[in-house]
Amino acid sequence: MNDTTSTAVSPVPASAAPVRDEGLGEITRRTFWEANERHALGIGFIVFVLLLWEVIPHILTLSRGMDLFFTTPTQVAMTLYNMFASGEIWPAFKFSAVAFSVGLGLSIVAALPLGVIIGRSHTMNAMLDPFITAFNATPRLVFLPIILVWFGIGMWSVVVVVFIGAVFPLLINTYAGVRNADRLLINVVRSFGASEWQINKLVILPNSMPFIIAGLRLAIGRAILGIVVAEFFGGSSEGIGVMMNDAAGKFQVDIVFAGLVIFMALSLVMVGGVKVLEARLSRWRPENVKSF
Amino acid sequence: MNDFVYKWRNPIFGSVSVVLFFLGWEALLTWAIPLNPFIMSKPSLIFEGLWLEMQSGQLWSDLLISGQPFIFGFGAAIVVGIFVGTMMGWRARVGYALDPLLTALYASPLVAIAPLVIIFFGVGVSGKAILIFVLCVFPFVFNTYAGVKSVDRLLVNVVRSLGGNERDIYLKVIVPSVLPFIIAGARYAIGRALVGILVGEFFAATAGIGYRIAWFSDMFELSRMFGYILVMMVVAVLFTEGIRWAERAAFPWRVGM
Repeated sequence: MNDTTSTAVSPVPASAAPVRDEGLGEITRRTFWEANERHALGIGFIVFVLLLWEVIPHILTLSRGMDLFFTTPTQVAMTLYNMFASGEIWPAFKFSAVAFSVGLGLSIVAALPLGVIIGRSHTMNAMLDPFITAFNATPRLVFLPIILVWFGIGMWSVVVVVFIGAVFPLLINTYAGVRNADRLLINVVRSFGASEWQINKLVILPNSMPFIIAGLRLAIGRAILGIVVAEFFGGSSEGIGVMMNDAAGKFQVDIVFAGLVIFMALSLVMVGGVKVLEARLSRWRPENVKSF
Repeated sequence: MNDFVYKWRNPIFGSVSVVLFFLGWEALLTWAIPLNPFIMSKPSLIFEGLWLEMQSGQLWSDLLISGQPFIFGFGAAIVVGIFVGTMMGWRARVGYALDPLLTALYASPLVAIAPLVIIFFGVGVSGKAILIFVLCVFPFVFNTYAGVKSVDRLLVNVVRSLGGNERDIYLKVIVPSVLPFIIAGARYAIGRALVGILVGEFFAATAGIGYRIAWFSDMFELSRMFGYILVMMVVAVLFTEGIRWAERAAFPWRVGM
């Protein structure tokens, strides 16, 4: 913890205030390397890891057994390209995407009203809290066998797994957002004769939006996890998870990694999208509240 | 009396609603709907089955078997995660280099490599321990990283000015300010570790909590399956609420992080 942590917060000495021009001059004088060091190191390290992975089979002779389980980034990229070029990925992709969207959509529809209700009513909160805590703490995967018994093998089982994964982060965050709403604003709106519905629409929802969006970000991760595990453990007979599981059984390791890359890309894209949405929806908000 | 009710309102309402839930479930399947044991069970049968599993010692041996890879994987995740996180926070360049790669890995559903891990490392303790390690290490890395970055430089300087040595700086400033982050990371990691146990045991196992749940469901022994699900829920709640309680007790100044 010596002098290398440029990221650590250090209090600016009072005497530094008048020489602000000098500071600005410093910024323009930064070299290209200094300005881009962060990204260069980050991307460089990823490239380095991929290269290392690529050259391992060329410098080490793998035993025949290991050879079966090994793949290289170029092979994964080729497989990925072929899957998209030949179009064989699309039915599986479509299945997983539909299950994801329906499950996430249902969880949003269920979580927002319920979150507002338990946020506004102490009684409902006290009564539902044990169930929410218990279900949120337990990995939802534990319910997969019973979901298969109830909903059968197919789309609906996957949708239900996605739903129970995504609904709790949304519910808990909506609740937290509603509880965080300014009492004063609620009282003002009520004094002006607003109905409960109008209070929810005018005060509660805009106030809890950052919380809900943060919950959505968590929920997307959980939903993708739900797709993977539900499809792995016999929740359906098609989908990207099924494709990966079959491939693992046949030692087609490149297909497994191709599937992982697809899921990784999807979650990064969607989380990025949510961040953009977050920035858009909270443009009107004062800066200190924005960074929830 | 009224004060008492007001103070304990949440626990009272909570336990009443849990009891009502189980009573309602029991009543519904006893009087209203005929019980079909192939798709549903009821609390009396579940608790009876659980009692039998406890008496025969089956439950305890399953818990022990599931606990083993959990301890190894989680322990390794703590050690490696804290080490990597500290390096990332301590040396800015290490942080820059590792952050994007680890973020991408953290965001991706790593459970998807479970079949490969099982193929590589076998169906025994080691395969599951490695799976748990892979899932749990990221919360520790990122929380330690955030914790080390947020150490107040002013406090370090104050301790130094007042004549404290390196040991004082570590024990009085750095550890107390990083520890809450690590504990919060442990809370996330516990949930992921439980997922790891279940995935590992659903895939390939001959005993353990997850294995039993899958097996009872295949046998249509739903009462016993629900019993084991309840055990899993109790374990999960004990872990997460235990950590939350420890957080409140040890760091009362940063509740709600």
